[in-house]
Amino acid sequence: MKKLYSNKWVILSLVLPGLFLFVFAILAPICLSVYYGFTNYSGMGSYQFVGWENYKNLFHDAAFGTSLRNSLLLAIGFIFIQHPLAMIVAAVLDKLGGKGENFFRCVYFIPNVISVAVIAYLWKFIYNPDFGLLNNIIKAFGGKGDINWFNYDTAIWAVLIVLIWHGFGWGMLIYYTGIKNIDPVLYEAAAIDGATQIQIFFKITLPQMKPVIQVNVTMAVISALKQMETVYLLTNGGPGNSTQFAANYLYQQAFKAYKYGYGNAIGVVFIIICLLVTVILNKIFEEREAKIKVKEVA
Amino acid sequence: MRKKIVSVLLTTAMVTAMLAGCGGKDTTASSDGSEKSPSAEAGSSSGDEITLKVFSNLPDRKNGQGLVEQKIIDEYMEENPNVKIEVEALDEEAYKTKFKAYSMEGLPDVVSIWGQPAFLDEVLDAGVLAELNESDYDDYGFVSGSLEGFKKDGKLYGLPRNTDVAGFYYNQKMFEDNGWEVPKTYDELLELAGTIKDAGYIPLAMDGGDGWPMAVYLSDLLYKVAGSDYSSIVSNAVATGDFTDSSIVKATELLKETADAGLFQNGYDSQDYATAQNLFINGQAAMYYMGSWDASMALNEDIDEDIRTNIRVFTMPVVDGGKGTATDIAAWNGGGYGVSASSEHKDEAIKFLNYMYQPDKLSKYGWENGVGMSAQDQSAYMTGDETELQMQFVDAVNNATSVSGTPINDCGPSAFKTGIESEIQSVSNGSMSVDDFLSSIGKACQ
Repeated sequence: MKKLYSNKWVILSLVLPGLFLFVFAILAPICLSVYYGFTNYSGMGSYQFVGWENYKNLFHDAAFGTSLRNSLLLAIGFIFIQHPLAMIVAAVLDKLGGKGENFFRCVYFIPNVISVAVIAYLWKFIYNPDFGLLNNIIKAFGGKGDINWFNYDTAIWAVLIVLIWHGFGWGMLIYYTGIKNIDPVLYEAAAIDGATQIQIFFKITLPQMKPVIQVNVTMAVISALKQMETVYLLTNGGPGNSTQFAANYLYQQAFKAYKYGYGNAIGVVFIIICLLVTVILNKIFEEREAKIKVKEVA
Repeated sequence: MRKKIVSVLLTTAMVTAMLAGCGGKDTTASSDGSEKSPSAEAGSSSGDEITLKVFSNLPDRKNGQGLVEQKIIDEYMEENPNVKIEVEALDEEAYKTKFKAYSMEGLPDVVSIWGQPAFLDEVLDAGVLAELNESDYDDYGFVSGSLEGFKKDGKLYGLPRNTDVAGFYYNQKMFEDNGWEVPKTYDELLELAGTIKDAGYIPLAMDGGDGWPMAVYLSDLLYKVAGSDYSSIVSNAVATGDFTDSSIVKATELLKETADAGLFQNGYDSQDYATAQNLFINGQAAMYYMGSWDASMALNEDIDEDIRTNIRVFTMPVVDGGKGTATDIAAWNGGGYGVSASSEHKDEAIKFLNYMYQPDKLSKYGWENGVGMSAQDQSAYMTGDETELQMQFVDAVNNATSVSGTPINDCGPSAFKTGIESEIQSVSNGSMSVDDFLSSIGKACQ
């Protein structure tokens, strides 16, 4: 058996399918994207090379700037609103125990199970200024209830709330699993030492969860950058471009405005940004880990 | 050693299976169609079996235009048993995206197209549509000028299906009960907006989220401002990227004034087609701005009878100081059909196309189903049972002294269309100035 696995041909035959998939489903499209990013291809017919033209335009494109700002806002919202909440809820759930724990775990995860299309339309109706739930609640409390939630200045916040709410279940579930994996002996020891619940959370749960937080934060940032379908269905970037996100803008330019070349240029910049963010996040976490290790050794 | 052989065999089997899995996609895709239709005919030995693929932007095959299209397809298959027609239908936006994907690898035989530069220019440049022989259609009764949008360098590449008219649908009963009058001038319309609001209704339901209905509204205004100069002003602006013509500025300012006056519902700039239409057919809004294709509302049993039977329409009132008169209306020939240049059965596809356009097919059925006016002479099919709403549109067209032609958003390249449809929300809600708006859509033309 060992002999078999050291046979280079066998190794090759085992690696080949994966390699094949990687090259043709990931690498080749990226290379093609870079290639088309330098052309004025409309998606049909012939095209010419235009050099850096697309990238120059992209640099001055206000809508692209807005979409990056929105992605940043969303990432911040994820990290500072969604995740602390998710973690607290996960910690509380863990303490709840019994049927209640299972019930609430399901309830919090429900938004993730519902299709994005349904979510988007649900919120469209909740936000509707004429017959929406929100305005009706305001009316019930005696307010005027004619707020236009998707107005130009506030639309992005309305969208952020939906996205944060929608992704909440995933974050919570991962934290919940992380908490469940913490050795109960630690809690027992803390209890014997007379630690309060809050002390336990900050001194045991949180430090033990570091790897989980790392994964979760990285995923949250990436998903903030990649956000497309909810926004597409909810506002399609409108009013104007106030709720535009990079992926949605890419789609609009490449497939609706017939600027396939320009769309690919957006895609390339987009990939670079995603890679950069991942690298930076990893660096940050690495440094932290190194520090912790140094501390531990000391 | 035996183990080794077994392992290698297993590996090969796995790789083969994977490759087969990859290849499998192709086979399923091509057999996709034949799965849908019964394979009974496939067994017959005649070599004339033809399968035509129709790619349509009408996913609702049970109502309106989609029903008409399906009905004609069914009749054609009955009359030509050797021809099988498979329909793939997607709604407009998805349709246009997939159309583009198809155009790279070969279009289905018969496709829905739009006779407007924003859609057709790129398509014709790519050369994916087959040329049609114009003289074949001399006795099809096409309304004069309706084929122009489907031509390039004098050659015909498609046929128009409808004549679309933009109008203000209104709830007649609501108007009468409250003593409101159909406005004769644009100032009266804005004044009426205030009156309706005070009565606790939404003056006009506008699908502002999609952008194009607002662009049609702007075109409608521009036609009233500029009159017969409309098309030259628009084509000149699109060609030069300079939208500072005083008529365009005035029309845009009017649009902003209209939004400020509260004619549209609260949050119009983020609401979609269905929401806007619902506001009107639920009786929450007194008016609704849309094209003549929605005249089928008067026949839709799902709408409360009290409202359904009271829907009437008026066209854009005259603008003070504008050159357009009340009978210069915003109307155009938009959607239609074309045949793929790479079709294996081009002759059969064109034969089917011509069959659809026989005056007693699309025109007649369309009329009977209340989907609005066709681009052909329909006077022979008046049954006398038409709804008042239908007749109002017919009268508007028959009494029209001139029609505008293609709305402004469809007059330029796709990038211009995308630009104007998203920025028109910004200019109407005041988050962008009129000048910035005009310069930004000008830039999109270059």
